[in-house]
Amino acid sequence: MKPAAPLVLLLPALVLVPVLLLLPSLLHGGGWDLIGAFCMAALQPSLDPVVLDALLRGLGITAGMALLGWASSLVLGVVLGLASSRLLWRSLIGQAWPAESLRRLLAIPRSIHELIWGLLLLQLVGLQPAIAVLAIAIPYGALVARVVSDLLDALPEHNLEALLSAGVPAPAALLTAQGPPLLPGLISYSGYRLECALRSATLLGVFGLGGLGNELLLTLQSLEFRELWSGLWLLLAVMLSLEAIVGRLRQRWGMPARFGLKGGSVGRRGRELVLALVLLIPLVWGVGHALAIEPAALLHWQPLPPVAPHGWQEAMALPWLPLVGNTVLLTVLAAALAVGLAPLLLLLVAPWRWGERLLQLLWALGRLWPPPLTALLLLFVLKPGVIVAALALGFHNLGILGRLLLEGAQATGAQRQQALGAAGCGPRLALLYGRFSGLARSYLAYGAYRADVILRETVVVGLVAGTGLGSQLRESLSSFAFDQIALLLAAYALLTLVGEDLSDRTRQRLLQP
Amino acid sequence: MTPATTPTAAPVLELQAIHVPGRAQPRLDGVSLRLQAGERVALLGASGAGKSTLLAVANGLLQPQQGTVLWSGRKRARSDRARRRQQAGIGTLWQDLRLIEELTVQQNLNCGRLAHWPWPKAVLNLLLPLESEACAQALRQVDLHPQLLSQPVGELSGGQRQRVAIARLLRQEPQLLLADEPLASLDPRLAQELLQLLLEQVSPQRALLLSLHRPDLLQGFDRVIALREGRLCFDGPVAELSSSVVESLYAGDAGAATA
Repeated sequence: MKPAAPLVLLLPALVLVPVLLLLPSLLHGGGWDLIGAFCMAALQPSLDPVVLDALLRGLGITAGMALLGWASSLVLGVVLGLASSRLLWRSLIGQAWPAESLRRLLAIPRSIHELIWGLLLLQLVGLQPAIAVLAIAIPYGALVARVVSDLLDALPEHNLEALLSAGVPAPAALLTAQGPPLLPGLISYSGYRLECALRSATLLGVFGLGGLGNELLLTLQSLEFRELWSGLWLLLAVMLSLEAIVGRLRQRWGMPARFGLKGGSVGRRGRELVLALVLLIPLVWGVGHALAIEPAALLHWQPLPPVAPHGWQEAMALPWLPLVGNTVLLTVLAAALAVGLAPLLLLLVAPWRWGERLLQLLWALGRLWPPPLTALLLLFVLKPGVIVAALALGFHNLGILGRLLLEGAQATGAQRQQALGAAGCGPRLALLYGRFSGLARSYLAYGAYRADVILRETVVVGLVAGTGLGSQLRESLSSFAFDQIALLLAAYALLTLVGEDLSDRTRQRLLQP
Repeated sequence: MTPATTPTAAPVLELQAIHVPGRAQPRLDGVSLRLQAGERVALLGASGAGKSTLLAVANGLLQPQQGTVLWSGRKRARSDRARRRQQAGIGTLWQDLRLIEELTVQQNLNCGRLAHWPWPKAVLNLLLPLESEACAQALRQVDLHPQLLSQPVGELSGGQRQRVAIARLLRQEPQLLLADEPLASLDPRLAQELLQLLLEQVSPQRALLLSLHRPDLLQGFDRVIALREGRLCFDGPVAELSSSVVESLYAGDAGAATA
């Protein structure tokens, strides 16, 4: 008895059974009036000019931090990506070991979430506008580096071999043969990272690094829900515009789709691309100037407090097993919720035309709404713990996966769905059989990648919902226990590296024909 | 072959003055026709004559701007459930077959029954082999071995896929069988075999309307309908189709006329 592809797509949604069974016991009895007020406020956002002014200013800072962090990560990522490409080293010196070493080294900054980088830098150099930029640039740079090196190493090498055998010097041969085919994938991925950077900059704001996230947290904590919704609608408008622009440019420039259902192609409109790159330089410089970014300020480190006597022994005595166990459980629950709910919800609304639109709105809210704020909102009615954290993280990632699933569904199986409909099949079954069959493997493979990202993100909700390594990290950070922080970061790095390996293996298995 | 018609019953399909607009000219312009159960009807016309549009109107995918479509004497049902029941009586063999490559042959054959099954059974079909004997029978009818039932469709040859698509139609048990150029891009021997197979599926309860790009495959049909620039220009027995009509149909489309 082996479930067929469309059914496998729905299996993760089975996690709803234990979650729904446990939910009643997690209710603490109060807070429903607050949830009601929060929902009602969505329809009546504050239009007070003072509030709007503060929110717009916050939004400008967040967008600026996102742009600078993203641009820095691209520069960093491309350089490090080239330096960690096996192909490049093999062409230059005939051996690939420097690439392997650098790849292993880059796994560490990649494994640590931008929020942890932000909080660490905050401790080290104090509150500086440049912190958020650097906090985004470091892990994103390492991520871009991996993608660049993977793309480069996966390209066919026959053109390169032809040029090398004709006596062309290796650097020129590499640039000529591999540069153009590398660009479409790289630019498509860069667009996606810009969307991520906006979400990360908002999140960093929630934890005190400035911008709209900070405003959202303050309005939530003071229960000013109408002001909170003004900020959320603004952020939604910016995020949807950004996604639409990136999508349009991806189409216009002939870049591959993110879901990987369509093969890559060589990009078109080279002049426009070059022009966009040229325009980006003064834009980045102007935004940096407006945000008063001073990279030199990052060099002035504050003295760290001394390690307490017996600090290391105390750090070793932390309850590591439940901390790690809860982090893994949180990852599994959140990933299953996000991966399984997206197709299930699409199936449920399939008969109604407005259903898909409603889901798109819900998913957009999930994407932009930082998970710690969802956790705080859930804490109005639920006791803190793994379930609250999983729901918060699951909702955020549902927004990302749902959008991808919808994009994938729109790109594949329309005719099969139509054929089933023409034979009298209902809209849900036509969607399940006609479209989900074709995209099950790629969607689940992306889900495996997302689970890896969710593992990194557990720290974000752990800090608020009081569970896993994240909650311990908050305590250690507030007590300046750097011995504990060092061990916790090492544990996080190890866990995410293992997770990354598992996710890679799962993806490879799923994508095997 | 003689048509096994039942003249007293309502036509399986009736189109009355169908008009479908197009960009430069109408895709269908005042087309009327009736199809009785037991009839084998070929639909001829050059590329762009309106054959696919007519079939899309006939299978309910396209609603005409003007005119009436009746299936077994009834208009398009209003409620979703009734419309699905109505659609279940119309089987279409698509040019690109539209099989689900990721599923097994048996699961694909059972897709023909989805309109009749409650949803738990439809979901169970993705987990267990259901109605194996009926599926095996459908495969035998198209000259395929039942051993293929557990094989993914993606692993079948082109000819086998064509036959599986027909077997899926047999599982659906429609009163009206539509086929949109199913023989295009097939080698002559396979085209002849599949055409024969399709013609054999016509029964006293079932009619076939099959669009053809090539007029040399008309043997076995009872009647021919020809379209030119969205208008009906011939409707009669095969024997009455003169070469001059065929030539006028394919004026400027020499490849088809001489095929």
